[in-house]
Amino acid sequence: MATNPRPQQQLAVWNDPQAVPYVQIDRVTKRFGDFVAVNNVSLKIYKKELFCLLGGSGCGKTTLLRMLAGFEEPTSGKLFIDGVDMTGIPPYERPVNMMFQSYALFPHMTVEQNVAFGLKQDGLPKDEIATRVDDMLKLVRLQQFAKRKPHQLSGGQRQRVALARSLVKRPKLLLLDEPLGALDKKLREHTQFELVNLQEQLGVTFVVVTHDQEEAMTLSSRIGVMNQGEIIQVGTPKDIYEYPNSKFVAEFIGNVNMFEGRLIEDEPDHVRIDSPELGGTIYVDHGVSSAPDATVFAAIRPEKFNISVERPNQTDNVVQGTVKEIAYMGDMSVYLVQLASNKMVRITQPNTYRHAEDSITWDQTVYLSWHASSPVVLSE
Amino acid sequence: MSARAEAPRRHRHSAGVQLILDFLNRLPPYRWTQSRLVRWGITGRTAVTAIPYLWLLLFFLVPFIIVLKIAFSEARIGMPPYAPLLTWIDGSVAQVNLQLKNFANMFQDSLYAKAYLNSIKVAAVSTLFCLLIGYPMAYAIARAESKWRHILLMLVILPFWTSFLLRVYAWIGILKNNGLINNFLMWTGLIDEPIVMLQTDFAIYVGIVYSYLPFMILPLYSNLEKMDLTLLEAAADLGARPFKTFMTITLPLSLPGIIAGSMLVFIPAVGEFVIPELLGPSDSLMIGKVLWQVFFTKRDWPAASAVAIALLLLLVIPIVLLQRAQAAEARGAHR
Amino acid sequence: MSRAFNSTLRAGLAVTAIALAVAACGKKEEAQQAEAPGAAAAEEKVLHVYNWSDYIAEDTIKNFEEKTGIKVTYDVFDSNDMLETRLLAGNSGFDVVVPSASFLERQIKAGVFQKLDKSQLPNLANMDPDIQQRVALHDPGNEHSVTYLWGTTGIGYNVDKVKKILGDTPLDSWNQIFDPKEVAKFKDCGISVLDAPDEILKVVLQWMGRDPNSQKDEDLTAAAEKLQLIRPYIRKIHSSQYIDDLANGDLCIAIGWSGDILQARDRAAEAGQGVKVAYSIPKEGTIVWFDMLAIPADAKHPKNAHAFINYLMEPQVAANNSNFVNYANANAASFAMVNDTVKNDPGVYPTPEVKAKLFPSLAYGEQATATMARLWQKFTTGQ
Repeated sequence: MATNPRPQQQLAVWNDPQAVPYVQIDRVTKRFGDFVAVNNVSLKIYKKELFCLLGGSGCGKTTLLRMLAGFEEPTSGKLFIDGVDMTGIPPYERPVNMMFQSYALFPHMTVEQNVAFGLKQDGLPKDEIATRVDDMLKLVRLQQFAKRKPHQLSGGQRQRVALARSLVKRPKLLLLDEPLGALDKKLREHTQFELVNLQEQLGVTFVVVTHDQEEAMTLSSRIGVMNQGEIIQVGTPKDIYEYPNSKFVAEFIGNVNMFEGRLIEDEPDHVRIDSPELGGTIYVDHGVSSAPDATVFAAIRPEKFNISVERPNQTDNVVQGTVKEIAYMGDMSVYLVQLASNKMVRITQPNTYRHAEDSITWDQTVYLSWHASSPVVLSE
Repeated sequence: MSARAEAPRRHRHSAGVQLILDFLNRLPPYRWTQSRLVRWGITGRTAVTAIPYLWLLLFFLVPFIIVLKIAFSEARIGMPPYAPLLTWIDGSVAQVNLQLKNFANMFQDSLYAKAYLNSIKVAAVSTLFCLLIGYPMAYAIARAESKWRHILLMLVILPFWTSFLLRVYAWIGILKNNGLINNFLMWTGLIDEPIVMLQTDFAIYVGIVYSYLPFMILPLYSNLEKMDLTLLEAAADLGARPFKTFMTITLPLSLPGIIAGSMLVFIPAVGEFVIPELLGPSDSLMIGKVLWQVFFTKRDWPAASAVAIALLLLLVIPIVLLQRAQAAEARGAHR
Repeated sequence: MSRAFNSTLRAGLAVTAIALAVAACGKKEEAQQAEAPGAAAAEEKVLHVYNWSDYIAEDTIKNFEEKTGIKVTYDVFDSNDMLETRLLAGNSGFDVVVPSASFLERQIKAGVFQKLDKSQLPNLANMDPDIQQRVALHDPGNEHSVTYLWGTTGIGYNVDKVKKILGDTPLDSWNQIFDPKEVAKFKDCGISVLDAPDEILKVVLQWMGRDPNSQKDEDLTAAAEKLQLIRPYIRKIHSSQYIDDLANGDLCIAIGWSGDILQARDRAAEAGQGVKVAYSIPKEGTIVWFDMLAIPADAKHPKNAHAFINYLMEPQVAANNSNFVNYANANAASFAMVNDTVKNDPGVYPTPEVKAKLFPSLAYGEQATATMARLWQKFTTGQ
């Protein structure tokens, strides 16, 4: 597998080898009959993280979450929360709470009663329960709805009740299953920031399961990308985006242009790739650990391109093409440029100027260029 | 995203009509008729509401009015054995003859009050047992794997395909002194003398609970099957042990089903005649038997009709309860 | 249209239904009076007969059909009450029915039956005049009915079980049942009484030495009081369960109808389990009941009905019926053709001495019926 070196990162707890993980998933596998839902997954999640499990449907992320919650037991492997082995411990005995995708609010109870439910199970005195419920409702701004029943609330309000209910017990770990899936776009954006604020305020460790990359990028401290029961890559949003470790991750997150080619120069400080697909050579300014003469893929993100009418002054990392499609998005424009090899390249450019005299138009011949640091070289 | 097809507008029926519609829609002849009517343009609310309405009219309202009419009459020797409602004087003036003594009699003779109360007691106890036995069964079926569910439901419904009377007779063969149970127990040596089970109150309860159990199971199953299982997971997640989850979540949410099932057992059980007559002691005091005796032994059709009307009025309250439970269930489903 | 249906049309339909319901009954009543008895000139060759179950020889109907070419539809019932209800409701659809005489008595008064055309019944000459006389008490002048079969109400018992309790003393008196001291001996053995209040009250009155057919309140009440004394010893009050129970050996003593008890006897013998059942007519006398052939006033085929009734009075036919069902017939001419086993069975054909002590069960009037019903309710339920 081709690896790309990274610049020195700020000291994050997950990079500290001495740090003790809050949640440790140790070689966990889950089988349903012949079907393997989770395949030998190991993960370390640290205290106060907002960790996202990202993947398409059927990738095993929800199963993994349910195992953390206690609704499923791993076929093999162990789960540790705050150092305690959770094997065989039922959900009602775990210091974990979950916010369900469908919210699972108790329809026959009021908002107050829903939120108080968990505290009642702990046998707390009545006034303490009342206080804590009240505080939590204030936090999610639902005080005036305390006496309402779930069917009398809007979708967004129900979501907040579900959140309040799951946080009121101050769990060590909060699991969220597609928390924003049922909300409309504006509400979703608003709630994303609210969630992050809440988490920072309360200092609870969040594990969120989602299929929405935007959500994952906005919310998380780190993302774990899953596919077919396995963790493909774990990293900060920037890590995942800028340093994908595989074609899968590169293509899963955001948009990317893949150019297949062969390494013609393989040096510790640079590599050169010849790509007929591209119709030129790609010069990458860092070394890549890879088998010699191997077939590689250069992944270049759309925003890393520069598009111009005149040919730029560089020998490498330049290619000519014809503009086939332009999509004006307001803040940026998306260009689809066809190369000589008929490959379509996707480029995005911010609309920096309101009135550009030399704005690019359809069927125009243009030159695409990029910086030597832009490509990520991948072998699979 | 492609445009969704326009969903048909759902019409809210009254609970009684809904109950009948649910039943009728399970019958292929009804659905066939409906599809034909739709083709001919008789569609929508009219046809759908009209059919159960006419059925109710023909098979409930008309007979009820007839019985009510007889209840206000008095017995006399003739064909039919009661006085007519209208008599013509001089061929042009109609005289309406109404007798209230049939109803008055019921208040004066303590037999009726005692019979009603005893019938209610027997029906209530039977309902309780049906609930205690039927709830676990409904729960087990609702939680079974979907391939088993249909088979299990069939097993519950299958006895209905045989005659009710035959099934009660079968219990005679099982409970009598040299019947199945006693013979088996004596063969194993557990007892020396047969246990007297037939012609006892015990046998009445066995008969009623057995015969009406499906009426308890089906509404309960219908309710439990629709229950959102994630609610149970949420409760567990919040710290509730399985028993607590059952008491605070499952049970309250199944209340409409419990009420519906209980009423479907209680209401007919109050007027039961066949089971106490075949399985119970000679001195069992149930209103159904009293009604039978007044009709046949005393040969007083008006008095018997009055007893029947009074029985119906007595059951108005449980019937209203049933309606409201059905409505609550329908509301829950539409949420 | 849809919205309108929900209010106006609904109300309209409901009112129409109510009006129809009220009118329908009235119309029916008038219709009964209006219809003249059997005026049809040419009748279809059809006949609808409604008889007790297991109450006719196997080939009687077939032979009648062959002889006359009349197609017979034969239905059965097992309770006088049911028959009476159908008749009183009107339009039963039957041409010949077979009520018991005490029920017939009341039904005649209600106008259920038409008078028989004796010119169509030449075989009346074959009938036993003694029976005719007794039946006339129910059917004045024998104008509405012809006796089909008859029997008695007596005591059926398990021979061995009773022997064990009574020793050599025979079971032949009502006293052994109605005297609390006597009947207590059979407490654990099992006693059943007919669920037929009119008959039971009458035999009690007979045992008490009073007029069994008394309709006086004081007599009926007195009889009921005597009955109350033995209630604790009675296991079951039922009109048919005792047949099985006697045959199975589950029951010791049953007050029941002669034919049924003899049936139990034969069944027990067939079963071969060693259960022996016998029938005894108490020496104080008992009820003699008759099952009568009659023609409803609204019968559609009265001519065919007469032909059928006449056919049943043929000596061989009457004898066949008696031989097959084990009940006595009222046909003197048939006596010679009745099998010995039937003829000589005192349970079927009582001896003349016993016959002399038999009395009819005459129908109660309205007042007595109400009193009887209430007393019986008290007896059965204790309320």
